Amino acid sequence: MAIPQLELPEKPGFSSLQGVTFDQGLSTEDMVINIGPQHPSTHGVLRLVTTINGEIVKDMEPVIGYLHRSKEKMAEGRSYFQYQPTIDRVEYLSSFFDHYAYVTALEGIANLKVPKRVQYIRVICMELNRITSHLLWFGTFLLDLGATSPFFYAFRDREAIFDLFEELTGARMMYNYFRFGGVNADMPVGWLDQVRGVINELPARFDEYEAIATKNPIILDRCLGVGLFNLQDCLDYGVTGPAMRACGVDNDLRKTQPYSSYEDFTFDVPTESVGDVYARYKVRMAEMRESLKIIHQALDNMPGGDTAEVKKIQAEVDVVANEIKEAQKRVALAKKQEQEPVAADVTLAEKTIPVINADWQTYGQKVNLMTFKPPAGEAYSQVESPRGLLGCYVISDGTPKAYRVKWRGASFSNLTILPSLMIGNLYPDLMAIFGSLDIILPEVDR
Amino acid sequence: MTESKPTDKHTSIPLPEGYLPTENKVLSAVTEIAKGMATVISHVGREPVTEEYPEVMPEMTNRFHGRLSLLAKSDGTDLCIGCKACAKVCPCDDLIQIEMHRDGDKKPVIDQFTIDMGRCIFCGNCTEVCPVDCIKMLPDFELADYSREALVLDKFDLTLKGNESDEWRAAHDLVPTV
Ligand code: SF4
Ligand code: SF4
Repeated sequence: MAIPQLELPEKPGFSSLQGVTFDQGLSTEDMVINIGPQHPSTHGVLRLVTTINGEIVKDMEPVIGYLHRSKEKMAEGRSYFQYQPTIDRVEYLSSFFDHYAYVTALEGIANLKVPKRVQYIRVICMELNRITSHLLWFGTFLLDLGATSPFFYAFRDREAIFDLFEELTGARMMYNYFRFGGVNADMPVGWLDQVRGVINELPARFDEYEAIATKNPIILDRCLGVGLFNLQDCLDYGVTGPAMRACGVDNDLRKTQPYSSYEDFTFDVPTESVGDVYARYKVRMAEMRESLKIIHQALDNMPGGDTAEVKKIQAEVDVVANEIKEAQKRVALAKKQEQEPVAADVTLAEKTIPVINADWQTYGQKVNLMTFKPPAGEAYSQVESPRGLLGCYVISDGTPKAYRVKWRGASFSNLTILPSLMIGNLYPDLMAIFGSLDIILPEVDR
Repeated sequence: MTESKPTDKHTSIPLPEGYLPTENKVLSAVTEIAKGMATVISHVGREPVTEEYPEVMPEMTNRFHGRLSLLAKSDGTDLCIGCKACAKVCPCDDLIQIEMHRDGDKKPVIDQFTIDMGRCIFCGNCTEVCPVDCIKMLPDFELADYSREALVLDKFDLTLKGNESDEWRAAHDLVPTV
């Protein structure tokens, strides 16, 4: 008896799948099943209309838009500062990155200078945020594969970092902390030491995760050689971030176009050559350790050091500045009354008023947030988010409201490759492949 | 009929030579699972990381974004000057509503000040622009109620007493306004 062959539909443009056929022992009927929108493994509301033949996926179509909240249109009806808090709700696992992209775009248009201290604070925030995002991915990815304990361990460590964020910004996930040309408030006194305490613990925790998961035979069986794609596919589909670096390219915006003082730090860009689920797993695990390196350097070289020191110097400067100002007032008063001012006052009044080192401030140039009106112009800023390239394009027409804000989220592009990876693949591999892409649905739908 | 063998699991990208483990997997599986189990078991008996809420109330940090409130002057009179800056920067339309008039000396008098906490997203925008540091956030997060109407707080619910306001200012290093 001839064994029937399952012909795969031709998907133009997908290099790795053309002409693949599979030997099937038994021919079964095609069946359409809906995965989602409410499915524990879709990390949000994604519906995958899947045609399967036996265990093999013949066609798959993601249906998106369940979480659409018109994030881009909202910008056109709100002032720049009014719009800012809503950005948090787009990519809520790593919203520091979205804020960074938005704020830098506007700093570009309005030509605002950002002090070094602010840049370092931003780097610390973003790298800690990258770790929390990867930790959540690690927990849920292994949960999808059937491991429960790592999920709890990852959440425990994530919680420690969230406590730091709460101390700094007042919120655990919806930070709303970066401002045009600065940050909302300086770090609390002693925050740097708290960060140091938390991140000193983390390498041991990462070792623990790796001991549980990295060489586990079940993980190896489900991840090795599954969900392969190569650099050409990344370029075709616009896949960026760790998924792209798992294909052997060390494309990382932090290295290629350093922003926010990333050029000051030494770190490696972890890459893997194979491009399967396991490679993506390893890249993310290595990235968390690299983030720790960056945070350590930022903590040690923070311009101005801890807030307590900056406050102390600020107080000293304030005393001198006050004296000079008082003297100037006395001189002016004496001139007004046509008297001879005291000689000591005159010499004091001629001194320049001292200011604290410009690098140590939390604002380059303070803008009035309520009436912030950048000149007409446009700017595009991009940042290496935990999921890949995140871009924000702002057009300003000189009014307090944006003419247009466009977001380029990494999750959307990374999701488009999923059907091509799944067609011809085993249905049980879906969760491993989908989980390894690290997609967050609010960012897809926006 | 031709035999077609996928080069790896189902795709045609060739895997590098020796990528998939070929040696006897049993031994490594046993040792790796044992290692994993040992790690998990080492967690037995360690201090719990969970908090016993609501028996034990968590300490909120100083900057916590919680329930909104209006600080008063030390003597308990209104601090708010009715400038409506807070309402202007709030991302939610008409969430903060202020009714005010000016008395004989052109001093502002706040007749009503309502905040719909049910629609507030706790972003903190309003607290940042207030010119007299009046609208602020408390570390109070237990806001659930039985109806939406109960979440609309008016001026009486929102305004703190003079001494409470002073305590808040002392905790946040703010200079008290007399
Ligand atoms: S916290 Fe945000 S949403 Fe709530 S009232 Fe203030 S500005 Fe509006
Ligand atoms: S910004 Fe402050 S002073 Fe102005 S209306 Fe709001 S609470 Fe009152």
